[in-house]
Amino acid sequence: MTSLSLKRLAVIALPMAALSGMATAVNAQEWTPSRSIEFVAPANPGGGWDTLVRTVSRVIQEEQLSDRNFAAINVPGGGGAVAWAQIARDSGNPHKLFATSPPVILVPLAGASRYDHSDFTPVARLITDYSILLVAADSEYETINDLFDALRENPNLSIGGGSAPGSMDHISVAGLASAAGLEASSVNYIPFSGGGDAMTNLMGGHVEAVITGAGESVGQLGEGSQLRALGVSAPERLSGSLADVPTYQEQGVDYTFDIWRGVMGAPDMPEEAVAYYEDLFAEMLETDGWQRARDQLGWIDAYQDSEEFGVFLDEQQELFSSVLSDLGLLRQ
Amino acid sequence: MDALNNLMYGFGIALEPINIAYVFAGVFAGTIIGMLPGLGPISALALMIPITFAMEPSSGLILMAGVYYGAIFGGSTSSILLNAPGVAGTVATSFDGYPMAKQGLAGKALAIAAYASFIGGTVSIIFLMLVAPLLSKVAVSFGPAEYFALMVLGLTAVVSLSDKSLVKGLIAAVIGIMISIVGIDLQTGTERFTLGSMHLLDGIDFLVVALGIFALAEVFYMLLRGGGGKEPKRNVIGSLKLSGSEVKQIAGPISRSSILGFFTGVLPGAGATIGSFLGYSMEKRLAKDGDTFGKGNIKGVAAPEAANNAACTGSFVPLLTLGVPGSGTTAVLLGALLVMGVTPGPMMLEQRPDVFWGVIASMYIGNIFLLVLNLPLIPLIAKILDLPRPLLLSLILIFCMIGVYGMSFSVFDLMLLLGFGLMGLGMRLFGFPAAPLILALILGNIMEESMRRALQISGGDWMIFVEKPISLSLLLIALLSLTLPLLKKRRKRPVT
Repeated sequence: MTSLSLKRLAVIALPMAALSGMATAVNAQEWTPSRSIEFVAPANPGGGWDTLVRTVSRVIQEEQLSDRNFAAINVPGGGGAVAWAQIARDSGNPHKLFATSPPVILVPLAGASRYDHSDFTPVARLITDYSILLVAADSEYETINDLFDALRENPNLSIGGGSAPGSMDHISVAGLASAAGLEASSVNYIPFSGGGDAMTNLMGGHVEAVITGAGESVGQLGEGSQLRALGVSAPERLSGSLADVPTYQEQGVDYTFDIWRGVMGAPDMPEEAVAYYEDLFAEMLETDGWQRARDQLGWIDAYQDSEEFGVFLDEQQELFSSVLSDLGLLRQ
Repeated sequence: MDALNNLMYGFGIALEPINIAYVFAGVFAGTIIGMLPGLGPISALALMIPITFAMEPSSGLILMAGVYYGAIFGGSTSSILLNAPGVAGTVATSFDGYPMAKQGLAGKALAIAAYASFIGGTVSIIFLMLVAPLLSKVAVSFGPAEYFALMVLGLTAVVSLSDKSLVKGLIAAVIGIMISIVGIDLQTGTERFTLGSMHLLDGIDFLVVALGIFALAEVFYMLLRGGGGKEPKRNVIGSLKLSGSEVKQIAGPISRSSILGFFTGVLPGAGATIGSFLGYSMEKRLAKDGDTFGKGNIKGVAAPEAANNAACTGSFVPLLTLGVPGSGTTAVLLGALLVMGVTPGPMMLEQRPDVFWGVIASMYIGNIFLLVLNLPLIPLIAKILDLPRPLLLSLILIFCMIGVYGMSFSVFDLMLLLGFGLMGLGMRLFGFPAAPLILALILGNIMEESMRRALQISGGDWMIFVEKPISLSLLLIALLSLTLPLLKKRRKRPVT
């Protein structure tokens, strides 16, 4: 059976290779997937990883970038740990990818996963979002410095976020406080069950400020809004409806924070396969279909290839563990 | 008469032939998904995102909203027929629906569920249309302290749900709270009662417990009693018709629960499940024949069904006017809307009135479709009870397992299901009521998180719960609902 389908593959592949031969130099070494690619979202449907997996799979299919199907698979549990444990067992499998973001570093640092980013093959970083610091529209604080001055006076001031202590929102605001000259652990961080939940509580005046993803906040800002942004963690101002929001750096606090998302693969994925996916994703970012989806979802392209992404992940781990140890949340 | 104009505008959109087709497809798919135990609307909606991407946003939301409320509508079917809740919001329906089915009144129970769902849905669409923008204020006025008070009020229902022995009911409730603690603690990130198992990090899914303790336990119980197929009247579906006095009986519960359910739905995080429990326990307390609740009282079917459908519609208030999802399902809807290029939020009424009013108008149409679709189906679906006992029991087992596995793709959860089935059997044999356990499991998590959040905000000061007017009033109502029955009893005693 195998030899038969391989033969059949060759019959199909040859003319195709001839057709595409102009654009890409085909050589015998080049790897292409021989079956459907399992693209895992280590969470339930509906979240950030799931959206990335489904969007990428759809764009690749619509733009016909790969002759194999990208099958979106949800493996929820343990904030990602269940999926990571499964994928870690699948060493060398070139047909298995998963969506990734800071939790792949943070969850293991908190002691909740045996596997961390170094157990997997970095494939590519795709996009990034930034943190945004929000207050109620009628709040007395005009800049992040106003807020931190108030925080010095009254350490009990509550800042809400959309995730557990020691995860992205908390790290982001604790790192900011520390860059502004406060103790990272002095922030009275109140975890809510999501960014939306946190923003509702800010509208109702139950917390003083909220830290959340800039993309998630877009719908809540602008004319007639009950919320106001004090600053964004990007190195430069964002475009679109967030163009009026100053960066932290503009306000004299030298601090940026990325909420990056990318793709990783099973441990020890063959180099040729990594190269194939790198090219595929780089090509995908150029397509109209991707750019339309990206703009609608408020994502910002931030491509890095496998090697750069790997170095970046190591740097992030260092950064996160230093903030976590300031917070007393380092468990590893 | 602004609302009327807007509604006419909405109907203009919802009555386009293509949108009528989408409403129909949505509610039809939703009903089927709802009927299958365990399989909820979340995964179905997530799978639909790629389909809706290319659609007009109003059409896309019309379709997806149809699946959502269709699933809540259809979820009562398996609760009533099999004691296996189709979706989380219909657990309370099985308390009286299943006993009715056992008494040969399956047809009537299903018909009441359909009428109550229809009325609950329709009443809350009217509310949604008239007061949605105002209600966004109510939704944000609920902070951690207020949620805690609301959950305390909800928990007082344990008293009315534990029919024979209050002590046993309280024990069941404590076990429910203990189950709700399992997993990573959101406030500190600490693992609690996970026994080092990765599979328990996210906690135990409510539906696994509900399916185990109700459906599986029922299967085991029937097996234990030596299922020789001698079940009396098992095969009778009964008439769908309601008598005049029955209509009178359920009119009150349906209208009260519709309103209650709608307001529960408006609060992000509360939703259909809590709404249906609150409706059920409110009616049980108000009813003169409250002690027949749990034994096949028609009001016990009408109240939760009106409440859960009303709550489902109510949950569109925070979604559309604040851009805040109140539940997992509305979170997926929010994601889908963003993908379609619509940003729900305070500005949506002005920017995309077509989506807002189109969806509201489509809900009227969808609810009528659901009623017309479900009523004639009742005799057909209820035929499942005609199956020979061994077949029926195996079918329940299979449905439960598919439902649980389809949720998490985890064999571990299947083991949990089995474990909770055995636990439910034990509880039945020793006379522990299951409903308080389920209620405490649903409320426990939100109650604990809200309490700790509130205390963290106040710097450890417990006064936060009584300083806030909403929180204080809810706590007082909770106190009243606990003490009033005692006072009543005392007053009665000298007479008897």
